Amino acid sequence: MAEISLNKINKIYGDNFHAIHDLTFDIKDGEFMVFVGPSGCGKSTALRMIAGLESISSGELRIGGRIVNDVDPKDRDIAMVFQSYALYPHKTVRENIAFPLLMAGLDKAEIAARVEAAARTLELTPHLDRKPAHLSGGQRQRVAMGRAIVRQPAAFLMDEPLSNLDAKLRVQMRAEIASLQRNLKVTTIYVTHDQVEAMTMGDRVAVLKGGVLQQVDTPQNLYSRPVNMFVAAFIGSPSMNLYEATLDGTELKLGSNTFNIPASVFAQRPSLNGAIRRHLVVGIRPEHMNDATLHPASAEIKAHVKLVEALGSEAMVHLVIDAPWIDAGDPDAASDIGHERTAVARFSPKSSVRADDNARVAIAAEELHFFDPQTRKSLW
Amino acid sequence: MTDVNQRDIGKAMINAAALVLVLSYALPYVYLLMTSLKPAADVQQIPPHFFPESISFENFREVLVNSTLPHAFANSLIVAVLTTILSLILALPAAYVATQYRRKLTVVFLLFALVTRMVPAVSLGVPLFQLLKSLGLLDTVPGLVLAHTSTAVPLALLLLAAFFEGIPRDLEEAARMDGCTRFQAFRKIILPVMKSGIAITALFSFIASWNEFLYALLLTSENSKTAPIVIAEYNSVFGLAWGPMTAAAVVYSLPVIAITLALQKQIIGGLTFGAVKG
Repeated sequence: MAEISLNKINKIYGDNFHAIHDLTFDIKDGEFMVFVGPSGCGKSTALRMIAGLESISSGELRIGGRIVNDVDPKDRDIAMVFQSYALYPHKTVRENIAFPLLMAGLDKAEIAARVEAAARTLELTPHLDRKPAHLSGGQRQRVAMGRAIVRQPAAFLMDEPLSNLDAKLRVQMRAEIASLQRNLKVTTIYVTHDQVEAMTMGDRVAVLKGGVLQQVDTPQNLYSRPVNMFVAAFIGSPSMNLYEATLDGTELKLGSNTFNIPASVFAQRPSLNGAIRRHLVVGIRPEHMNDATLHPASAEIKAHVKLVEALGSEAMVHLVIDAPWIDAGDPDAASDIGHERTAVARFSPKSSVRADDNARVAIAAEELHFFDPQTRKSLW
Repeated sequence: MTDVNQRDIGKAMINAAALVLVLSYALPYVYLLMTSLKPAADVQQIPPHFFPESISFENFREVLVNSTLPHAFANSLIVAVLTTILSLILALPAAYVATQYRRKLTVVFLLFALVTRMVPAVSLGVPLFQLLKSLGLLDTVPGLVLAHTSTAVPLALLLLAAFFEGIPRDLEEAARMDGCTRFQAFRKIILPVMKSGIAITALFSFIASWNEFLYALLLTSENSKTAPIVIAEYNSVFGLAWGPMTAAAVVYSLPVIAITLALQKQIIGGLTFGAVKG
């Protein structure tokens, strides 16, 4: 087991593409750290640099206190699970799991014992003599895990290991990996673009965008205290709704709607005190908007209902609010945006609003987020 | 007519077309085999008969006992085997690096390999002759091996590069994470995965060398003459000696047929390599 420390790590490719900018943070011994971010944010590059599969342009990488910038992957004492699993197709499950031990020069009895133990943990015992081609996706994923855990390495690196599984299996494997990591207490770095995976699995989550670390924090803090608009919108599903607004004293003007901000918000965010017609960006999470006819609140806005997605336990209501919509800067989300930019609200399933209705929407004003429109940072 | 009947007729027509195609390919070889089994007197019969009236092995006896064919056959075998081994040794790592570590230079390298395949063999014959002469390798097995390797390597390179393209980079990286050096990853993981590709490339390199005529004609005279030259030289005072010539050709075709049958599984596997995701 080991602590992993990144100090001003940069990755600049031959064509001068700067993929990683001054990445700096520490991962504690036994911690489950998740790297999350949209496509091309540099999360996999960062992981591959830690693995030794990608060179480090500048900065210092330490694993267990030792500087490993120029150490071969095989000598870093870390195991990696690949997105494609990268199982050796010509070897049986047993040979796949045994391979790292064989390379480490362990004796046959020790190898056999460790392979059996790993297979038992991952429920692979009946499949030990089969080739990867004859296994299901979930079983292949377990073999890849087996090959990683059998070595008892200082750290696990996992590069989107669940992205090739179907949704149901992904939920199951997500829990299995998290519980396996907790039992083994091995430092783990897990890369994903799925923020639900990040939130449910990680002790801490590092959010990256454009090769720049945005925030490293616990899942709860990322959700409740995002440092900027990007993190605020990236964490949480559906995303936080961002609109331009004006704050005048305690009164917030959102398009043609006006409502008062409670004192508790000003206590939490002193920089908002005494605002005079201050332009800012307000962030409203879908779960903090509801049908005002069922859940009356002191803050209320009017909105036009574009679409209602009834999910049984809740209804996702797409609303047109007459205030300028703000792009959070998520390149993956940008491609999903249609012509009309709507807010998404998570209404109670009992709500009777229908598409094309004009609805009264209750806002949990004490849960609002505020951002500076220029710096895009949270206002506290 | 029902759908099932229509489908059956369609299948039968496809099978018939396939059979016609196979026969058209096989016919010259069958005729060669039939001629080789005819007694000397029947070979030049006019009009010729497709099937021998009586089966005789005298042509085979003639080429295997009373001619230089066995020696030339051995030369051919040695040259083809050495060419295949040398080509694979040179082309395997080159093709792997060219495909897995793609840089501008590697693309140029592969293009260059393609260009060398486009140059007619006869254009390279003269410089090869001069080169081997200055090295003292004319009419030697090593000389012919080098000449054949110079044409087999680009072929092997292009074939292997196509196979390597189908191998995910993750495999080598996983092996490196599991404790291998780059070379160990190549040897222990990549090469076994490439078995079919290597088998096909070996077969093609072997056949290319085995069948090669022009360089063998230009670069050998007595000692290292290969079988195709000897077969072509079957002349008698009455003209070409068809009987021994066809018998020698049949004998000469047997190793290739045997190897193809032996490697059948790998060849089929190789031809469909990468077609289906594992």
